Amino acid sequence: MMVTAHRLRSIGWMATLVVCVALVMILAFRVNALRSQVHMSQARIIALKQETMYLETEFETRANQQQLKTWNDVEFGYVAPIASQYLDNERQLASYAKPVEPDAPAPIRVASADDAVVAAAAFPAMVSPMAGQPMSTPASGETSAAADHAAPKLTKVAAVVGLAGLGARLGTVRHAGHAADKAKPTKLAAKKPAAKTKSAKAGPVKTGGKSPSKAFAGRLVQSKVRVASADPHHRALPSARSGTPLIKLALRDVKTNK
Amino acid sequence: MNAYSNAPRPGAPATTPSFAGATTPGAATVTGVRHPGRRYLANIRLLSLQTAKMRLLWVVVGFVFFTLTAFVRIGQLGFVSQTPDHGAAGDALVPPRAEITDRNGVPLARAFPAYSLWFNPKALGAKGQPLVKTPEEVARALVQIFPEEDYGEMLAKLKAGNPTYLHRRVLPEQANKIFALGEPALEFPRETQRFYPQGSLAAHVLGYVEEDGRGKLGMEEALDARLTDPAHRAEPVALSIDARAQGAMEDELSRGMLETHAKGAAGIILDVDTGEVIALASLPSFDPNRPDLARNALVFNRASNQVYELGSTFKPFTVASAIDAGVITDMAVRYPATPLKIDKFTIHDSHAFGASLNVPEALIHSSNIVTAQIADKLGGKRLRDTMIALGMNARPMIELPAKGFPIWPKGEWPRLRTMTIGFGHGIAVTPLHLAAGYAALVNGGIWRPTTLYKVDPAHAPAGRRVFQASTSARMRQLLRLIVVDGTGRKAEASGFRVGGKTGSAEIAGGHGAGYKNKTAIIATFAAAFPMDHPRYVVIAMLDEPKATELTSGQRTAAWNTAPIVSRVVARTGPLLGVTPDAKRDVDVSDLTPLVANGDGE
Repeated sequence: MMVTAHRLRSIGWMATLVVCVALVMILAFRVNALRSQVHMSQARIIALKQETMYLETEFETRANQQQLKTWNDVEFGYVAPIASQYLDNERQLASYAKPVEPDAPAPIRVASADDAVVAAAAFPAMVSPMAGQPMSTPASGETSAAADHAAPKLTKVAAVVGLAGLGARLGTVRHAGHAADKAKPTKLAAKKPAAKTKSAKAGPVKTGGKSPSKAFAGRLVQSKVRVASADPHHRALPSARSGTPLIKLALRDVKTNK
Repeated sequence: MNAYSNAPRPGAPATTPSFAGATTPGAATVTGVRHPGRRYLANIRLLSLQTAKMRLLWVVVGFVFFTLTAFVRIGQLGFVSQTPDHGAAGDALVPPRAEITDRNGVPLARAFPAYSLWFNPKALGAKGQPLVKTPEEVARALVQIFPEEDYGEMLAKLKAGNPTYLHRRVLPEQANKIFALGEPALEFPRETQRFYPQGSLAAHVLGYVEEDGRGKLGMEEALDARLTDPAHRAEPVALSIDARAQGAMEDELSRGMLETHAKGAAGIILDVDTGEVIALASLPSFDPNRPDLARNALVFNRASNQVYELGSTFKPFTVASAIDAGVITDMAVRYPATPLKIDKFTIHDSHAFGASLNVPEALIHSSNIVTAQIADKLGGKRLRDTMIALGMNARPMIELPAKGFPIWPKGEWPRLRTMTIGFGHGIAVTPLHLAAGYAALVNGGIWRPTTLYKVDPAHAPAGRRVFQASTSARMRQLLRLIVVDGTGRKAEASGFRVGGKTGSAEIAGGHGAGYKNKTAIIATFAAAFPMDHPRYVVIAMLDEPKATELTSGQRTAAWNTAPIVSRVVARTGPLLGVTPDAKRDVDVSDLTPLVANGDGE
């Protein structure tokens, strides 16, 4: 019994030792595995840095001064800025903001975010893509009085929608094929979604839970589909259609106004 | 082991039941005399106790050893551990030759792993044929891929059967074509070679690296030890060159060369306050990426190595020296402008400017006669001292190995020599000398050595004073006047307040043959801008420009190099931190009344 106790104890010690050794070995293996991982990562970092250097050098070579000069001669034609393109101080800058006097020459417009686009984007629902006439329900051919009634309310809402989405829309590039499709919507094609427009208009108003502005926004979005109706891509992606047709219309509007 | 199983327990023996009678080793010995069995047991007990102590000692030693080892290892990891920056991993990213960049960090020369074409005849075994096809076929195919290689040479290398380079620097697409030949003996070892991403840009400044790895020509040679030093290889060397300004300068010079069918051209942009060379161009140039083709006349640096009689561009030095010495006190004093006879030699002007000219008019019209008289009044010694102070009697101060020694008249200058040097003949210097001299002329009168290293503006070299600050201010007015009203009109760049002087010097024949070839000239324009607070000196020089339609049938500096300076200033000014301003200029109102505009006087 005593011997068994001793033996048990020694077996216990041995077992502890074995467990400890096993743990140490596991730890050692893990450390070595990690170390080899670190080495591999280092090797990879070196390879990537060399690759970066390689690509950077290639870029520098393709865009060297002589090459840039050749491109500029053939393609771009940039010239160095001249004295009149520099501003001395805030005073000179402020002088550009002076109101135009009666016999002053026409102000020179500089390239910037053109607010005409923003303004035009605010009235997409009001313009027929075909005639360029302002009309609220062109397909059904209702009285212009109704359109006039809707106009003031729409203006504000549309302005909000137009301004909010403008940045996103300007940042989106559409395929040229879609633009070509959109450019030839026939009257027949336009009629079909016009019916949809009506139902869409009725929908949110009935539910009543939504604010009137949202309802108008919904109508606005739906009515825009009219323009894009020839484009199946837009119908398939309802989330995308609040995008380009609006700006498309806006551009059309600018063109027709000219 | 079982018999002594309880022995290693030092606290237990006295109470252990099996040895109940023997309390201490001493007692066991005493009682053991009468009972041999007991004594035996006591011996065993003694032995086992000793064993136990020894084992305990070993265990303690083991623990101490492991602890110490652990601490040493921890210390080692903590203090001298291998981090990627120092270890083998970091070394892999250190190039064998340090990078050279421009002042803004644009790489101009870097180590680049490129392919070479190596012929290994043992690729198909030691005894096999080196090539699958005949050497003639392979050589023909290789010459098709590398048109610049010689067929005979290639064939000889292939036939000789010795391992050798067939071609250095193979492009990936060329390597693919060679691979398609299906010859295992043609190998592509990837080797780190020197690569110049900007091509021939600043080729004369950079130089090239030979196949044995030594830098030749330019900064590659000057910095050879620094670039290959293992301690500093990782850090790139920044030069004072601005790649954009260099590009603009080379571009405009080559345009000017094409327009005038000139033999060569040189151009310099120099920072007047620090002496940094912002651009240094010599055309025609070469491609440092092809060091095997660089052993020809194109590597000759016209900007720092070739000396020229720079002619009228020296007149401002004479005038400044005379103002400084008090010889010219009144700008309104008139000097006769009729051809001047000195010792059987007559000094002419390009055409007659009337009976007399004052100093501003003499500079504006570039009159040799009046400048010769001023030099005569100044005297040879003082003019010589000024020229020495401007460093015209020694090689230019620059790090480049190619530095030309000026043609410097020895001893006392006789009267005629003084007069000709007064308008820039009889002395020949490099364009770099001229640039450094003009910097001293406009920066307040302090000459500083030119350098290709980037200089911190706060620690610019002190330099030496050559002209008084007042003289420098007057010269700024006069130089500006030359561009506003004089021969340098075409150098004007709107808003940059350029001032400068034309120089169209006839080229003297060899060995004192005189100026026989009247059509061969060196056209130079030395300018500084902006004149109200000069920042940069710009020198443009054309070697033997011809009169063409594009220069209105003229071959003088006013028609070919002045427009180059104008375009260079307009292109580089904004890049170098000079804002064009049409409402600002150096005040020349005290001089304008002295200048007769038009053809009067």
